[in-house]
Amino acid sequence: MGEAHEGAGRKVNRRDFLKLGGAGVAGAALLGAAGCGGGGGQGSKGPVDITVAFGRESTGTLAKLISKFNKQNKGKIKVTWRHMPSDTGQYFDQIKTEFQAQKTNIDLIGGDVIWPAQLAANGWIIDLSDRFSESDRSKFLPGPIQSMTYQGKIWGVPWFTDAGMLYYRKDLLAKSGFKNPPKTWDELKMMAKKVMKDQGIQNGFVFQGDKYEGGVCDAMEYIWTNGGNVLKNNNSNTVIIDQPGAISGLTTERSMVTDGVAPQAVATYEEPQCEPIFLGGKAVFCRNWPYMYGLIPQYKKTIKPEQVGLAPIPVSDGNHTHSCLGGWNFYISALSDSTKQDAAYEFVKFMTSPEQEKAFALNASILPTLKSLYSDKEVVSKVAPIRLNKTAIQSTRPRPVSPYYSDMSLDMQEQFNNSLKGTTSPKKAAKTLQGQLTQIIKQAKNA
Amino acid sequence: MATVAKKRRGRGWLKEEFGSPDRRAAYYMVLPVFLIVLAVAFYPVVDSIWLSLHGGTATITGPFVGFENYATMFQNSNFQQGLVDTIIFTVASVTIEFVIGLGVALAINRSFKGRGLVRAAVLVPWAFPTAISAVMWRLMFQDQIGVISYVAHALGLISSPILSNTHLLLIACILVDAWKTTPFMALLLLAGLQTIPEDVYEAARVDGANAMQRFLRITLPLLKPTILVAVLFRTLDAYRVYDLFWVMTGQQLESLSTFVYESVRISQLQFPEGNAAAVFIFVTAFLLALFFIKVLGMQTSTEE
Repeated sequence: MGEAHEGAGRKVNRRDFLKLGGAGVAGAALLGAAGCGGGGGQGSKGPVDITVAFGRESTGTLAKLISKFNKQNKGKIKVTWRHMPSDTGQYFDQIKTEFQAQKTNIDLIGGDVIWPAQLAANGWIIDLSDRFSESDRSKFLPGPIQSMTYQGKIWGVPWFTDAGMLYYRKDLLAKSGFKNPPKTWDELKMMAKKVMKDQGIQNGFVFQGDKYEGGVCDAMEYIWTNGGNVLKNNNSNTVIIDQPGAISGLTTERSMVTDGVAPQAVATYEEPQCEPIFLGGKAVFCRNWPYMYGLIPQYKKTIKPEQVGLAPIPVSDGNHTHSCLGGWNFYISALSDSTKQDAAYEFVKFMTSPEQEKAFALNASILPTLKSLYSDKEVVSKVAPIRLNKTAIQSTRPRPVSPYYSDMSLDMQEQFNNSLKGTTSPKKAAKTLQGQLTQIIKQAKNA
Repeated sequence: MATVAKKRRGRGWLKEEFGSPDRRAAYYMVLPVFLIVLAVAFYPVVDSIWLSLHGGTATITGPFVGFENYATMFQNSNFQQGLVDTIIFTVASVTIEFVIGLGVALAINRSFKGRGLVRAAVLVPWAFPTAISAVMWRLMFQDQIGVISYVAHALGLISSPILSNTHLLLIACILVDAWKTTPFMALLLLAGLQTIPEDVYEAARVDGANAMQRFLRITLPLLKPTILVAVLFRTLDAYRVYDLFWVMTGQQLESLSTFVYESVRISQLQFPEGNAAAVFIFVTAFLLALFFIKVLGMQTSTEE
């Protein structure tokens, strides 16, 4: 961190230039905003204004919960929602730009589970270990808590979660004589082949294999369910992706294509490409996030809810099931003053209370992070993925927790995709990644 | 007169330039523009070059490292891939666009019924924002619903999915770019064609020159300045390609510009390399323009 101070002089120059360069409209606006920002809240007697950043939420539930909070805290705290890009990459890019320039009005980030280490390492969010006590933490699912544990500290509060799961066609399996969904990858291939042959279904299994963040999630699940991992204990500095477990995971993924179960083009699929294939009745199995269950009504002509089953991600013999953890947490900006940070935490407590998480789960069909809600009758009966697949949600694992996750992800996206396309063998992809990730960790230590 | 004044050096020159109130006023008039150019063009370029010689991250400028960033950049396989793809894309797409564009320009330069309508219709692909047409084409290339994939498979032209094969994707990018920018090329060339006076052709016809001779001896030489401008525009545009590669290929193909974006915006460690690549693009594009102007004799102004 010593270099941070050495570089400070230069940084000021660049920032000064921003002001100077925009001496016209932009600069004046920037300076003006900065001037107001400092005085807001504590100077006047009015409520503390805080801005929470979050992407799109189409059901309007978040907006309702915010106005409910504002009503309850009238005169004390006023929360404004700043809409961010719904694409996680673009959202993160925007956050980085503003926090790098130290010019942001965001006090609270509703952010992706893969961000905390990166935000924390830059000193942009505050350590919540004291406020968010261990007994409070134990009320939440372990996966999301793991995702925001970095250097032994807790950097966020889990808001809602997401887990990869296996969608299957109950009716097709039953017709070909299978009562239960597959438990292992071999079973999945066997069942898929039989159903494809018996009933002339085009695709056995579709999943997200494109070169993008989702491709990492899917590949991680193959690796974990084959007993492998990318980093030892998931967050240390030891890369173990060239070990047999990880290689056999990538081999299993590639075998879906070579065995004719998944189409060759699965290496170009993201979530939107999987939807019409599975919900359009053209596939036996599909790996996707819980949200796809909510789309069934849009495909009335081709599929009915009773035809669709949900199961945990299959495994290779003798291993445990693991789902890739998705979802969003709350992170509090380190650039805001302490009054605002306190107010932001009040809002976080409100949003993650059982009552509001329940409302959010029921109205926006998202998965809550509070353990207690998974035995709440109303939630269980109304949120189908919880009713159908509690196991998957409770066996989530975060992707590698690292301040250089973005760099790791770029390399993993490329190698996982190459291995799935067949341009590189799984073994070679794993070996290449071993070198690349080790290099990133080494560089990160020197930085 | 002005040249004589400039040649006179020393104190007299200063006095002459700034002595007269008229001249001073002129300088005051130009000053704001000069400052703006300094701030928005000169400073960022110099700052990028300066940054590309340092280590560090997007937040912190590290120690001076000389040309080390350039060395690591050239060793980066993604950069190499981006360079190769960009060069192939630029040469192929500009060539195709020029040949077809010239043909189209010659065709719509004649007078025929509905000429105005045809000229407007030709511009439709160009009017689409690239990112949007890229999404559209991506859908058509998709394996399960894409019409192009369907036809290509039915004809037995390809055996693997287009979107996961980088060779096919590069060809696809070249063709889509040709589809999109040929109209632009045609329009520029058409403007040039219309400046050639009809009586030159008439004289040639009287002298017994055939169509081929007229094209080679009159049209091409008189069109040369327009051709150079059009080709330079397109070359620099194609050389900086970003949106088509990023959106249509789903980040499968690397160009120089996508490499810069990945390095400075997504990666936390490659910032200096990305900066070096940005400077590399700037310098090479500059040299390319210089080549057009100096070697090929492109006119940059209407003066002799």
